[in-house]
Amino acid sequence: MMQDVAASILVSGLVLGSLYAMMATGLTLVWSTLGIFNFAHGVFMTIGAYIAWQVGVAEAWSLGPALGLAVAAAVLAGVGCLVEMTLIRPFIGRRDQVMICVITTLAAMTIIQNGVLLTWGPRLKQLPPLAAGTFDLLGVTISAHEAVIVALAPATLLALWLFLHRTRLGAAVRAVGQNPEAATLMGLNVRAVYALAFALSAALAAAAGVLLGSIRFISPELGAEPLVKALIVAIFGGLGSIVGTIGGAYVIGLFEALSTYFIGLYATPAVLFAAMIAVLMLRPTGLFGKR
Amino acid sequence: MPALLEIDALESGYGKTTVLHGIGLAVADGERLGLFGPNGHGKTTLLRTISGLLKPTRGSIRFGGEDIGGMEPRRIVAKGLIHVAQANQLFPELTVAENLALAAYGRGTTASEAATLARIEALFPRLAERRGQTCRTLSGGERQMVAIGVGLMGAPRLLMLDEPTLGLSPRLKDELCEAILKIAADGLPLIVVEQDVEFLASVTDRLVMLEHGQTGIEVSSGDGLDHDRIMDLYFGRHGQ
Repeated sequence: MMQDVAASILVSGLVLGSLYAMMATGLTLVWSTLGIFNFAHGVFMTIGAYIAWQVGVAEAWSLGPALGLAVAAAVLAGVGCLVEMTLIRPFIGRRDQVMICVITTLAAMTIIQNGVLLTWGPRLKQLPPLAAGTFDLLGVTISAHEAVIVALAPATLLALWLFLHRTRLGAAVRAVGQNPEAATLMGLNVRAVYALAFALSAALAAAAGVLLGSIRFISPELGAEPLVKALIVAIFGGLGSIVGTIGGAYVIGLFEALSTYFIGLYATPAVLFAAMIAVLMLRPTGLFGKR
Repeated sequence: MPALLEIDALESGYGKTTVLHGIGLAVADGERLGLFGPNGHGKTTLLRTISGLLKPTRGSIRFGGEDIGGMEPRRIVAKGLIHVAQANQLFPELTVAENLALAAYGRGTTASEAATLARIEALFPRLAERRGQTCRTLSGGERQMVAIGVGLMGAPRLLMLDEPTLGLSPRLKDELCEAILKIAADGLPLIVVEQDVEFLASVTDRLVMLEHGQTGIEVSSGDGLDHDRIMDLYFGRHGQ
């Protein structure tokens, strides 16, 4: 009995943590490379979910969920590039770039959210589960859909880590984040790296949006609450560290699952914030942050 | 023979503050030029303008006969004009090997890259030992070695070193001086910026003083630069 409870808390924590990791990692990638917060990250999730719905779902083009996910990620990579080139690039290098980019990305958020409303209407939509049936994990029966989330998130993030740490282009992305001027003097194309980081981040947001859209209803506000969650996870895990963000996501996911079981759904956000404030008081750089 | 680098009536600065007031300078192929002068008189600004980090407001910079004034830094780097900036201009969380490899990114062949890497590790054996270490964990001298190595990995036709011995112990300074001499012995043209004129005279052929953003006295390194002469140059007692 106790084991069943522990296992189901663990599984539910893993599902939450996987979702949070997918939502927050893109935000951290942009922060650690460009030094700005992208408040349009949430609406990137929203359009990702809508595109996957448009491409994949029976009522629309009916091309299957896998293609829906792929098209959503690819389109969002383009959208990310576009947002970087039009709303970020002109302001990079200015002393007040952080504040300006808060405003420009907030503007993008509003425009995209209303664009989504105009394009797809206010009616709620839903993506079918990524996989049907049930799956046995740690003696707990979970839906195959949850199993896909628990497997897909770490696989995607591992691929991102390998790209950043095992390829030269990935090293260039990290280098630009650490010292843009030295990267310039080395002859690296800093602007192209910024666009690449934004594209990758937006594609990750699209994937997160697809996962979200298959467990919640899709509305133009789909990404609003996850954006806040992603910010919290990124700050809690240690700003600027992708590994820290992923670690922070799973810690928060497991903590939420524990708290939901023992304290209840309504008190959980308050408990979570209290715990996070305590952690940040003891470790201002975040749970896994350096410096 | 036309000069490799020709600077004429160059003006540049930060925002509305002009730092360089009409610099004229030429470096011949194979020449090693030393720049010295008091702090805040434009040495670093000059290098930053040549490498494209700052846009010149007036005047021209020609490299290999081509006008590079106001060109994007990465295009200037691609032409082989490499600027090794002052103190710790590296990527702290990247390893020594990653720092060096990135500098060769998109340039040359794998074979030429491996050959340059071998040359750098022969020049600084310490870097071979530290290959897998992140630059954050290196000493100041080791970082400077990586910085020079990064410059060499970019296949330079002219290498500009900004205060390569800043803050180093005398022993490390000697070691770096030796390495710079070896680099120069291969025929690579250099521009070296230094406060320490004696050190500078030992690694370059010709010294130019930069004062109030203008080129001042010029001396050949061979001309018995004794201590008094240097004091004269710095404090302007000459003629009294």
